[in-house]
Amino acid sequence: MSIQLTDRELKKGSAELLILSLVEYRARHGYEIGQLIELRSQGTLRFNIASLYPLLYRLEKRGWIRGRWVEKPGQRRRRYYRLTRTGKKILAAQRDGWREFVAAVGRITGIEYA
Amino acid sequence: MPDFKTEIRRSIAELNLPPEDEAEIVEELSQHLEERFEKALSEGASEEEAKQLVLQELDESDSLGAQLRRVKMPLRQEPLTIGVEKMGPRFAGFWDDIRFGVRMLRKQPGFAVVAIVTLAIGIGASAAMLSVVQDVLLRPLPYAHSDRLYAIWASSESMGQTRVAASGPDFEDYLEQNRSFAHIAEYIPLFTFTWTGDGEPKLVNCTSVSEQFFPMLGIRPYLGRLYEPREYTYLENDTLIVSYRFWKNQLGGDPHVIGRVVHFEGVSETIIGVLPPLSDLFPDTDVWPKHTVRPSWPYMQWRGNKFLRVIGELKPGVTAAMAEEDLTAILRRVPEEPRDVRVQLVPLKEDLVGNVRLPLIATLAAAALILLVACINVAALLLARAVKRQTEMAVRLSLGAGLSRITRQLVTEALLLSAAGFAVGLVFAWSALRVLVRVPNLPLPRMDSVHLNGPALLSTVVIVVATTLLFGWIPSLGFSRLSLFSALRSRGLETVGRRGSSLSLLVVTETACSVVLTVSVGLLVHSFWRVIHVDPGFQPRSLLRVYLRTNYYTEKGRAFWKDVLTETSSLPGVRSAALSDWRPGRDAATATFVFEDRTNDPTRLPAGEGSWVSANFFQTIGTPLIAGRFFTEHDDEKAPPIVIINSEAARQFWPGQDPIGKRIGVNYTGPGRRSDAAPRLREIVGVVGSIRHGSLDAAAAPAIYLPYLQDETNHDMATMSLFLRTNGNVMALADSVRNRIHTVAAAQPVQNIQDVEDLVSQSVATRRYTLILAGAFAGVGLLLAAVGVYGVISYATSQRTREFGIRMALGATRGRVMSYVLRTTVVLTILGSLVGVVVAILFSRSLSSLLFEVNPLDSLSFSAAVTLLVLVSIGASLLPAWRASRVDPIVTMQSE
Repeated sequence: MSIQLTDRELKKGSAELLILSLVEYRARHGYEIGQLIELRSQGTLRFNIASLYPLLYRLEKRGWIRGRWVEKPGQRRRRYYRLTRTGKKILAAQRDGWREFVAAVGRITGIEYA
Repeated sequence: MPDFKTEIRRSIAELNLPPEDEAEIVEELSQHLEERFEKALSEGASEEEAKQLVLQELDESDSLGAQLRRVKMPLRQEPLTIGVEKMGPRFAGFWDDIRFGVRMLRKQPGFAVVAIVTLAIGIGASAAMLSVVQDVLLRPLPYAHSDRLYAIWASSESMGQTRVAASGPDFEDYLEQNRSFAHIAEYIPLFTFTWTGDGEPKLVNCTSVSEQFFPMLGIRPYLGRLYEPREYTYLENDTLIVSYRFWKNQLGGDPHVIGRVVHFEGVSETIIGVLPPLSDLFPDTDVWPKHTVRPSWPYMQWRGNKFLRVIGELKPGVTAAMAEEDLTAILRRVPEEPRDVRVQLVPLKEDLVGNVRLPLIATLAAAALILLVACINVAALLLARAVKRQTEMAVRLSLGAGLSRITRQLVTEALLLSAAGFAVGLVFAWSALRVLVRVPNLPLPRMDSVHLNGPALLSTVVIVVATTLLFGWIPSLGFSRLSLFSALRSRGLETVGRRGSSLSLLVVTETACSVVLTVSVGLLVHSFWRVIHVDPGFQPRSLLRVYLRTNYYTEKGRAFWKDVLTETSSLPGVRSAALSDWRPGRDAATATFVFEDRTNDPTRLPAGEGSWVSANFFQTIGTPLIAGRFFTEHDDEKAPPIVIINSEAARQFWPGQDPIGKRIGVNYTGPGRRSDAAPRLREIVGVVGSIRHGSLDAAAAPAIYLPYLQDETNHDMATMSLFLRTNGNVMALADSVRNRIHTVAAAQPVQNIQDVEDLVSQSVATRRYTLILAGAFAGVGLLLAAVGVYGVISYATSQRTREFGIRMALGATRGRVMSYVLRTTVVLTILGSLVGVVVAILFSRSLSSLLFEVNPLDSLSFSAAVTLLVLVSIGASLLPAWRASRVDPIVTMQSE
């Protein structure tokens, strides 16, 4: 079952984390990011174009990621995004926050993870 | 491949993005959709199905446009970013520009510091001077209806008198008969009373005022109350109002001062009020006694005794001209007044500040020139720097940076400079004003309330911002035509042509401004030198003066003065002592003359100066005898009345004749003139050299001197100056003089003991201060010009190192290269000087009223100024010239 992430808070909070972590070690372009999310969540999470790119631009405006047009030989130019130094710090903070959130929910609901 | 771009464009059309940004977004998003399309195809869908799938994603849930709008699109560009500083999303661009600009400036601290300091000097000088002009000249007086307040003076052409004060009867007539004034009041400014009872007797400054003075000006007491109308109905001073300054300094700011009894002139007076600080009108006044018109003291009853200042507030609807007619008619009804007496109204503020208007305006003009030079300097620096960055700009342009972006960057840097210069300049201006206010004896009225004010700052800021914007923006004009290829190839080494000529133009302008400043200063210096070398008509050096104010109006006075003279002249270190009612540096009192040997028109009596003196006055102060004899001890009240005249009087009234033995009558109009009867005739027994009684730069007037013992008024004898000719160190005798006088009268206040040389030099104080201030400005202007020349020449030569290297490789010596550079400087400077000289010629005419015996086109000043400028410019370009000559031709050739 594919969950359309309609809960705005959850979607917003985790969406940023997702994107930041995907561009942590490699610059990626928008379509690639969307594909990876879908792939690695095994279809659970899916961004459509109207959610993905505005989010990318928002992150770029905050200075957490940086986008650049790059032309590789034999290809047309694409816009690649990569994490910035500020973004790295944010990513670490968000990761911690996410871990705590999940642990707290687990303590309350009794759900545990391997 | 279906056309997704149109679809996307349609979705975001409502955002109205700039075309480049929209194009990029469309490109990126359409790539995404195309990939989706390809993927759908690879999963087996048909083209039509794949297309629908993709479009469906586009149409799903929230619209693309709405989402994008929520983000407030960052605008982007810069496809490639090779070797360029961080260029992030443009919407945050303003802060980026600032940070970028700060970093660029930090990389070139020398340039930044010079630019900022230059701007700061220009801004500081202008803002400070503008504040002074604003607060001293322009700001209205803080009194009610100040635009209707006027000072009232009389004048008479036939008597050769202007600015004549009023007498008691004059004022009474004004009071009773005028139809133009809502209020009219008289006052006697700054005379002295003796304050006894609290330790050593002290002299205090008094200004006495008539009934309507305080109400007219709307002055309310700080503590206590003002005089009531009933207090003006009797003569005695039993109540007293004191000034804020006196209350704070002399009464210790006593909160219970109201009701306190103090003793003036032996009379007990109760303090009833303390005034607030009044900086515009008589800030030096300590106490404000009342002055009654009726009843009045005897000296208020003599028509010829003209010493009262009168001010009035016009009724609404009455003009100054109408009031002048009104009062003139009143005076002309008086038989003793000259036929052609005229009353003049001067706006009160004008009366207070009129005589400093010209020096202040001149100084303001100098400050404006400094600002101009500063702006020019910075402009030149910005232009030169912009050229150095040609390469950087070319690369950025060809990589897609918008011209507007680059312009914005340059302008932001320029604005940063002007903001920093403004901040520092503010500090300069504020400190300069603090210093100025503390200068002692500064002959500027209203200085207590001068502070840095808004309009002044604002005007300066506007000018500076305009200049920096202009010169931050101009370079970008050249960049649009720059091609990367040519920029890289020439490595920014080509400068001559447009860029070079605008820099030369700036240097020429700067030099011209400096020439104007320096010429003006030269003229002032020359004038001042002339003034202080004027022969004052006596010997001020080693001359001591003591101001003694007594209240002896009778025989007691004669005995007192005789004893004082005897005691003080016998002091070791004192060669002789004498008395006079004249104060050096102030004009002597007016006198008019009646001649025995010719007919006299009572309405057109010639006027001059007069003074009551003791027997060896002229010998003591060092004035030469030209004919006849000096006074002696025997010329006292029992002897025939005599007079001594000065050479100017002899020249004017008896040209080519010997005046000795002739007889004149003297209407001595100093305070104390007792009657309006015709004066008795006196025989002229001597002619002395002409003394400049007042300021050194005023021509000597005809003067007469009368033996003080023959003073029939007795009033003047109360107040005299004691002159002591000493052997050398004047002020060392002060204490012994004081003690000696106290042996004659123990309670006599002996406060003002002064070196006469100081008094004389104080009389040219305004001139001196103008000179110092102008000199400071000119010095700063020269410095800025030198910096400007240095900057431009060093930039110009650095751009031509290749050329110099080639020349030297072809055989030119180092000396030749140096002299070549220096020659360029000299040519520019001379051009600038020519322009400056022309402007100075126009400007110097308006200075002529500040000059003394110096032609406004004085060649000495002009040539000195130009020479100085040329020397300074050569000096400033020595270093760049030397650097140019040290270019290694081999290195240059290798890099070709």
